Amino acid sequence: MTDDHTDDAPLSAAAEYALGLLTPPEARAFEAEMNRDIALRAELVLWQEHLVSLTDSIAPVTPPAKTYQAIAARLFGAPQKRWSLTSLLAGAVSAVAFAIAVGFVILPAPNPSANDLIAGLVGEDVGLRVNATFDPDTNTLALERVAGGPAAGRVLEMWLIAGNDAPVSLGLLPEGPTGRVQIPPQMATLIAGGLLALSDEPPGGSPTGAPTGAVVAAAPFSTI
Amino acid sequence: MATRDDIETYIDRIALGDRDAFAALYNATSAKLFGVTLRVLNNRAEADDALQEVYIKVWRAADRYQSNGLSPMTWLITITRNHAIDRLRRRKKGQAGLDEVAELADPSLGPEAQAIASSQRAQINDCLDELPADRAEAVRRAYLDGDTYQDLADLMQVPLNTIRTWLRRSLIKLKDCLSQ
Repeated sequence: MTDDHTDDAPLSAAAEYALGLLTPPEARAFEAEMNRDIALRAELVLWQEHLVSLTDSIAPVTPPAKTYQAIAARLFGAPQKRWSLTSLLAGAVSAVAFAIAVGFVILPAPNPSANDLIAGLVGEDVGLRVNATFDPDTNTLALERVAGGPAAGRVLEMWLIAGNDAPVSLGLLPEGPTGRVQIPPQMATLIAGGLLALSDEPPGGSPTGAPTGAVVAAAPFSTI
Repeated sequence: MATRDDIETYIDRIALGDRDAFAALYNATSAKLFGVTLRVLNNRAEADDALQEVYIKVWRAADRYQSNGLSPMTWLITITRNHAIDRLRRRKKGQAGLDEVAELADPSLGPEAQAIASSQRAQINDCLDELPADRAEAVRRAYLDGDTYQDLADLMQVPLNTIRTWLRRSLIKLKDCLSQ
């Protein structure tokens, strides 16, 4: 460092470095000194830990939904999607043909009432069986996980696909063997004729607002 | 809410190339980091772009996290703050880079230093309050707005050497207060 520094120089140089107040040559000199002197490095860590508290009052803001996809594309090349229901559903592929392609059977739900809509999802590859029963009187979706579950450290996310629209998340499949999810009224009207799909996702669910992992099971809703 | 341990685990797994851990880290931290880039850059498109660059940096620097001695959120926020301020300064004029926090190869610190670091969080506002208001403001402006000595000299209408002396003395007082 330069001659005009006093004995306090290492202290204040760490602080000035953390604040970005050093000139580029001063900053490079500090870095070189720090790499030889662990005490100086510890000094910088303390300043950084203290100064970061100045961001405590900054409110979190959810970034745009497409931001993660942009990052993944820049890092990993092609978009990370391993499947695309919208592309599968595009063109001549009907919902029925799609359902056969992914393999499902309609299973009876327990004690259904007359106007309930049922989807029985089977993911043969992963040994998963889930019965979903939608009650249009209450807009609740009851879920019963009969067999299987998410892979270790992963979650299953539920998606509603209506026509050729992009999949809309219905939230995570409840962790317990049974659970209920309240469906917003504007989405409830899409369930009749829609498909329910389950995708494999990281903890917390898809970070992008679209499925990012493999679809493990899918089935259409139908009346009994 | 992801805990400190969760975030540390994500970073460790990212260092091994785990994309799911990267997505999980993004889920847990992107809102805070976007808040920081927005605060510094005050422009949504630029803040979004800066956020993307920050996560690219995090993906590439994760293997150097363990050795840098910072708690995981401090590491992430410091990378974000430095990157946003670099952009802000490039916008203003050709200024020095601050981005080294992610790249520096450092001698490792023991867990004691980390424990001290995290236990002293949030003291800085109290200690800044003990400084004259204009000096405290200068420290905040340097950290959150990337003001240089020259910017502060212009703002306070005092000579460059004067502001440098003021601020260095203030930082020594701040250090004394923080170490109490």
